[in-house]
Parts: sequence; structure tokens; C-alpha cells
Amino acid sequence: MTAPGADPGALFAQLTLRVAETLARLRQARDVTVGCSAKRPVWNCGKTTLHHYLPLAEASVARRRASRPVLICFALVNRPYILDLQPDRSLVRRLLEAGLSVYLIDWNDPDEADRRVDLEEYIETHLGGCVRHILASHGDEPLDLLGVCQGGVLSLIYSALHREHIARLVTLTTPVDFHTPDNLLSKWVRQLDTRLIEASGNIPGEVLNALFLALMPFRLTQQKYVRLLAGNTEPQAIEDFVRMEKWIFDSPPQAAVALAQFVRWFYQENRLMRGTLEIAGRRVRLADIRQPLLNLYALEDHIVPPAASAALREQVGSRDYSDCAVATGHIGMYVSRSAQAAVPGRIISWLSERR
Amino acid sequence: MENPFTSAGSRPEAAFASAAERFFELLKAFGMPATGQPPNWSSLAAPLAGQFEQWLRMSQAAGPWLAAGGAAWPGASAGFTAPPSASFGPLPLGPAAAQAGEVQRTWELWGRLAQLQTRLAACWSEIANTAAQRFVARVGSAAGAPATPEQAMKLYELWVNCAEEAYAATVHEEDFARLQAELANTAAALLVEQRRHAETLVRAFGLPTRNEVDALYGQVKDLRRQLAELTDAARPARAGESRTGGDERAAARRREGPAPRRGSARRTRARRPRA
Repeated sequence: MTAPGADPGALFAQLTLRVAETLARLRQARDVTVGCSAKRPVWNCGKTTLHHYLPLAEASVARRRASRPVLICFALVNRPYILDLQPDRSLVRRLLEAGLSVYLIDWNDPDEADRRVDLEEYIETHLGGCVRHILASHGDEPLDLLGVCQGGVLSLIYSALHREHIARLVTLTTPVDFHTPDNLLSKWVRQLDTRLIEASGNIPGEVLNALFLALMPFRLTQQKYVRLLAGNTEPQAIEDFVRMEKWIFDSPPQAAVALAQFVRWFYQENRLMRGTLEIAGRRVRLADIRQPLLNLYALEDHIVPPAASAALREQVGSRDYSDCAVATGHIGMYVSRSAQAAVPGRIISWLSERR
Repeated sequence: MENPFTSAGSRPEAAFASAAERFFELLKAFGMPATGQPPNWSSLAAPLAGQFEQWLRMSQAAGPWLAAGGAAWPGASAGFTAPPSASFGPLPLGPAAAQAGEVQRTWELWGRLAQLQTRLAACWSEIANTAAQRFVARVGSAAGAPATPEQAMKLYELWVNCAEEAYAATVHEEDFARLQAELANTAAALLVEQRRHAETLVRAFGLPTRNEVDALYGQVKDLRRQLAELTDAARPARAGESRTGGDERAAARRREGPAPRRGSARRTRARRPRA
């Protein structure tokens, strides 16, 4: 590792130059835009907006008419534009190219008037309202639901309670067993007093960000920046990096009651696994999910460990269950090159095989 | 130094500059100025650990729950060295005389938070020392100071691996998880307490309190729901009269079966404001 007689001054000079160049490129990329596909709002409820993506001109009209609409239900804790970050990193774009009619739920920012919005309201009224709107617009045929991360949990619950509305279910990086031994996030929140969370009011997005970063602080707050010194500093690469940064630190606040319930019911009491969850007075049993189900998870996920997702296989009642493990991390599942090559294609082929 | 858990992260160039600064500090600690000579790694363990511990204390002063608080989460914003006395002093009004117990409670929470901070600092110290020891053991006595950016990066990667492993070993422990939860619970209790003080103040000035606003909002929400139910119920009849068929929403309601259970509506009905 050493070069005897090397001049440390020269090394510092080289590194200083790289720092200056990288800094200048980061500044140039400051105003980079996120989100690339055209969409229009078609329904809303409270702060929640349902968007419909406009079909691409090149996508087959015949195929679009033949396919079921796909509703993407993203997590409450992050912004959904990560799924349509830029043209070459967009799950939404790939689905549109395949001729699918794509809808997406944006939960937006709850304010203090929404502090008492609970999970039942999010699932039955907001998610349910989106589903009912799409059903009414597409001749009442059941739709395909794609749940992402925490949105996957909401999607599992909805699919179990409203089987008649959901034809096929896809879950992406979705936790099911919240008590796997490698789940650091779960260990940390297991003893939180959720009554205090409710009483504290809405939780700012920054607090959750800090929590996620603290799971691996050196890699996530230091190393990834220092690696820019060794990596590709072409403007395109730097712009990609800045887009990701924008998304990572652009987290919405969380409605107090819904967040407290999520922590208590899932992280603390693991109700989905134990079959003890009740929503709107109805018991939620994963065994009631009999629709075809594709479960995709990341093997290097530090937020939703692979075992937490893979546990779904033993719980659902579906006879047509497939899973797909991708060698990437949690966020990498949405934007990494390896995932871009694997995930959208897998979803599209899985759906088309079951048309 | 920017705190990577707060504003710097949303400005990548600031976060990068901060991380680069740390990287240069680390290279200096690796013995860069000693030209041509292999550094004495074992003697570097203590300064490395010290430097690392300082970063941990700055970046994660109160754990993730509070590090990002800032203005966004007022209860977590003031730091933990001293409570902002002006916020907690007795109100200069008659009812304030009765609030001494609440002020006492607030001071107790600040004290508790300070104790937990001390325990957290001990964890950072343990992590820093373990990381430095792991690094010294792995780098090998024959290794010299890096001469090229690539060698420097390699050494840096080794350091980060050691730091992350030492961190993981501590933070996965039950004791640490309990400490984290206690910190979060105490900070949240402090925030609730602060709000209680604020409510006392606004009530004294005749302004609506948070609880009263919540109660009103609950009433509005309940009324909206009832209105939607009544509107939906009226639509099919009107549609039948005009023979135009139901609208989309009414159709959806019919598919759904009966209206949402009354229990959920009752649950959001206005609560009585707390005295």
C-alpha cells in the first residue's frame, strides 16, 4: 500500500484538486430536476392525490387497452418520485413503455390538521378511494396493485380485506416479519412509547431521515461523499448523485397517529405475522390473500432485511406466489443499474404471463 | 463542521465538503506528513479513536431522534446542555402561580435527558476505541502511508469498514436499543411538556389551544363525512328519477356495500378539550 519516498504533499495536492472539481460539479448540478413522466391528478382525498401517468406515444394502444390498470402505492415516509426519477431510472417509465396504464398515490404532506389521521383512514378511505376511482374508470374490473416498502404493507392489508378489487399484487421491499434478528430499526423502536409519539404531534421528515441514516452513519453520511473523489465525476454521474440526494433528504412529515400505530402494530407487536391486526373492525389475515403475488426484495437491504420480506411466502394464501431477490440495497432496488435491469422487466413479464 | 444529519444532507455540496474535510483529517492522522516512513499504526489508535469519538458526539449528539430536530421539532431543538430558561419560566400572569409543578417536571426531564446523554457518550467512546483497534489490527504493521489517491481511498475504505462494524456491534445490543428508546421517549415527553406550557400561555391570552383546534377539526371532519353519506344516499334516488343512472361515486358505494361503519365516524367526533 505504500510507495517509499512518496511525497505526501503531492498526494494532498492531487486530492485537493479532485475535491475542488467535484465541489464545482456538485454546485453545477444543484438545480437538477426530478421526476420525468407526465402525469395528471385524477382524484384526491385529504392531502392524498391519485395521479394517472399519461401514456407514452410509442406504447402500444392495443396492449394498453388489453391490460389492467396498475396502481402504485408508495410508502408514507418517502416521496414516490423515486420510482420515476429520470428517464433511465424509472420503474414508471418502464411500465408505461410496456403499455400499462399506471396510477400512483402521492400521500403528500400531512399538516397539523391531519395529526389524527390513522392507518384505517389511509387504507380504507385514501387507498380504498383511489382503488374505487380506478375501478369506476376502467369498467369495474379489478386492478393490479404494486405496493412499495411501507406502501407494500398497506397494499397487503387492502388486498386481504378487499380481494374483489385486486387482481394481482406485487410487493417491492415490503416488510412482513418485523421481528427478524437483523432488523436494527425494529430493535430501536421496539420500546418507544407510542402514546408520546401521538401526543407529540406530526413527526418531521428530518427526524425519520436521521433515524435511517443512523443505521449506517459512516457509509451513509461520509463514505458515499468521499467515494465521489474516486468515482466517475462526469456531469451526468454527478447529476444522478444529486437527484438521489434530493430524494433522500426530501421526506414528508408523518401524521402522528398513523405513525404511532405503524410503530406499535408492526414494529412492536408484529401483528401482520401474528394475525392479530384489525382494520375497520375486520381481522387482517395474510392467508386471505389468494391473488397471484410477486414479492421482490433486496438482499443487501438494511431497512427491510431480506428475511423480513421473504417471510411473506409462508403467510399468504395465494397458490401463485413468486419471489425475486435482487443483489442490491433498499434504495438501490428502485434506482441501481442492476435493479433497473432486473426489477421492471420481472414485474412486466410476471404480469403479462398472467393476463 | 456540518452535522450530516441536518441541513448539510439536503445540500450535497455542503455534505461533500464536510465529508472531504473529515477525510483529510483522517489522512493526516494516518501519518501523512512523515515522508517515506511507515506510520506507527499502534500509536495512532488513540488519536484516531479520539478524532472519531469527537465526530460521533457532534454528528449524533443525542441519537438520531434528536440530531435532526432543529427548528422542525421544537422539543428537540435546543441542545442538551442547558434548558432554555425563558421558555420554562413561570408565566407573568395570575394562573402561572399554579404551574410550579409543571416547571419542576420540565427540569426533571432535562436532567434525565442529560443523564442519558452521558450514557450515550460512553457508547460513542466504546465504538470509537473498538473501531481504532480493529483498524490498527487489520492495517498491518508493514503498511505505510498512502502515496496515491487510490491508496488513500483504500485505507479510508478499511477505516470505514472497521468503524461500521464497531458501530453495528454496539448498536444492535439490547442495552443500546433501550437507551435509544429512553432518549426518544424523554425528548418526546419534554416536547409534550413544552406544549402544555404553551397551551397555558395561549389560554391565558384568550387564544384557541391546540386541543380546541383539534376538537373543532374533528367536528368538521365528522360533518363532512355525514354530508358525503347523505349526498351519496340522495344520489341514487335522484338518478332513478331522471333515469340517467348513478354517478361514479354512488356506484362505488354500492359496490362497497353498506356505508362505512359508524364506529369510525364516532371515533373522530370532537373530543372535549382538556381542561
